[in-house]
Amino acid sequence: MSATAENAAAAGAGQNQAFLSCRDMHAYYGESYIVQGMSFDVPEGGIMALLGRNGAGKTTTLRTIARAHEPTLKQGEIWLAGQPLHKMNANKAARAGVQLVPEDRRIIPGITVEENLIVAQVAPGTGWSIEEVYEHFPRLAERRRQDAVTLSGGEQQMLAVARAMAREVKLLLLDEPYEGLAPQIVQEIERIVEHVKSLGITTVMVEQNAIAALRLADTAVIVDMGEVAYQGDAQEVLDNKELREEYLAV
Amino acid sequence: MSTEYRPHSWPREGIVLGVFAVVVFAMPWWLTWIGGYEALATKIVIWAIFALGFDILLGFTGYLSFGHAAFFGTSGYVAGLMFLHYSESIIPALLACLVVSIVLALVLGFLTLRRTGIYFAILTLAFAQMLHAAALSIFQEWTGGDNGLTMSAQPNLFGLPMDGLNVFYLAAVLVVIGFAMARQIRRSPLGLMLRSIKENQMRLEYTGVNVMAYKMTAYLISAIYAGTAGWLMVVYEPYVATKFLHWSTSGEVVIMSVIGGVNTLIGPMIGAAFMMYFENVVQSEIGELWKLVLGAIFVLIVIFLPGGFVDGYNRVRKVLGQKVPSRRHNVPDSPESMRKLRERGRTAEAGRTD
Repeated sequence: MSATAENAAAAGAGQNQAFLSCRDMHAYYGESYIVQGMSFDVPEGGIMALLGRNGAGKTTTLRTIARAHEPTLKQGEIWLAGQPLHKMNANKAARAGVQLVPEDRRIIPGITVEENLIVAQVAPGTGWSIEEVYEHFPRLAERRRQDAVTLSGGEQQMLAVARAMAREVKLLLLDEPYEGLAPQIVQEIERIVEHVKSLGITTVMVEQNAIAALRLADTAVIVDMGEVAYQGDAQEVLDNKELREEYLAV
Repeated sequence: MSTEYRPHSWPREGIVLGVFAVVVFAMPWWLTWIGGYEALATKIVIWAIFALGFDILLGFTGYLSFGHAAFFGTSGYVAGLMFLHYSESIIPALLACLVVSIVLALVLGFLTLRRTGIYFAILTLAFAQMLHAAALSIFQEWTGGDNGLTMSAQPNLFGLPMDGLNVFYLAAVLVVIGFAMARQIRRSPLGLMLRSIKENQMRLEYTGVNVMAYKMTAYLISAIYAGTAGWLMVVYEPYVATKFLHWSTSGEVVIMSVIGGVNTLIGPMIGAAFMMYFENVVQSEIGELWKLVLGAIFVLIVIFLPGGFVDGYNRVRKVLGQKVPSRRHNVPDSPESMRKLRERGRTAEAGRTD
């Protein structure tokens, strides 16, 4: 099948099934086999919580979708709105609309807040203008000329999300967005994620605070030992105490 | 310490470049006051061009090349062969050197820039040493092997003989242009991308940026500076030594950068002047001991002034109560900057919004 025909077929599949479709993913860190044949779908415009215990393979899954240098995807396919992400590297995936907000080193230190936003608009496919970013994140506007490393943890998280929004984002991947943040900052980040959803952008969120993530999410995938243990409604996980206790210990 | 960035101002830029040009053009005179001589000024300026280009790669992107002699030496041989076999005019030789430097940088960059840190340094060193070995073996017929490439040519610029102060003025004009260009690059969107690469390459990749293309651009620009310096060295003295390609030449430019202050542009040029002065003037006073003394100075600077002379200057300014740029810009692993980064991390963990 030619690449175009393949794309068209997948686009057709995407219309009928899912916006993001991960099929039989096998990902490795060197020799370590982390993601062991995961398949799941994410509908367009919703928030999906990717949950599981420590070491279950959540972050690895997110990084695999974002096509990071590591881990290596040795088998499987990832389709985003008909585009084969599994054939792309990180920068091509980013141009295709994938934006990863990683768990650590979210910002680029040594350059200002505004420069962090400017670098996001260099590659083709830009989203919000910098002025629009400042309208949504007034706190960043106040600190636009500061070295980004001088921001607090919450502000750095905001900047990371803002930088994703400065791109033409179709799929936002949030890795532990609440980690280490004060409750009022968590609420602020939640409001931002809800706003992103209202714009029709699809979000996949990995979060240790499973309850907080499930309250925000529409759907959920629970990962266990590198495999999908559950896929369904977020509310169902909240309601199912047994499921939560078995896989999430909450 | 200031965390706000100073906005760019053209009058200030004009003053900086003007003062720099005056200091450079007056070098043959002020150097004699401290025991130097006219020809040493030319050598200093040529090495300053080399070190300046090296800072665009090491200072801006953080990529430590241990094989920049490849560009300096290859250009030297190309210039020598052009003077010998084609024309004694320096312009065709310059064009040939630029083309060869660019082609060589594209090939070496493609092979080495995929790796970072020590692997990049070792790869660049290996390729440069391969060129050095080739110059002594398979290319011996053209390079003159161990004897180097000797010639009785008198390079000229449109008939004007390139000797004495003429070479100095040519080199001085080029270093001022090179300095102005490097400052412009640092301020430009390209400079911003290079600084971002140095800080967090992967993060930049996640924003859709083809990082390799930017790294290659920095490598190419750096190679062009090194190639220009190699060409100038042969214009200054129509002889190409095999040392031009040797790893010790790459090492010298690294030492110049560290002594002067990486990522400051002016620092590596001061480092070049310091090294050349030591090698040529201090040596005549203390003989072979100069290497030991220079080694000791290098060690002391790395331990106590990791940002080089510029770091020392900034510390004095700080004591005088002036605002100075954050040390982490040219001393990325300084205990002070690392402590602050760690504290920042702890603050984030504690969830304080400070």
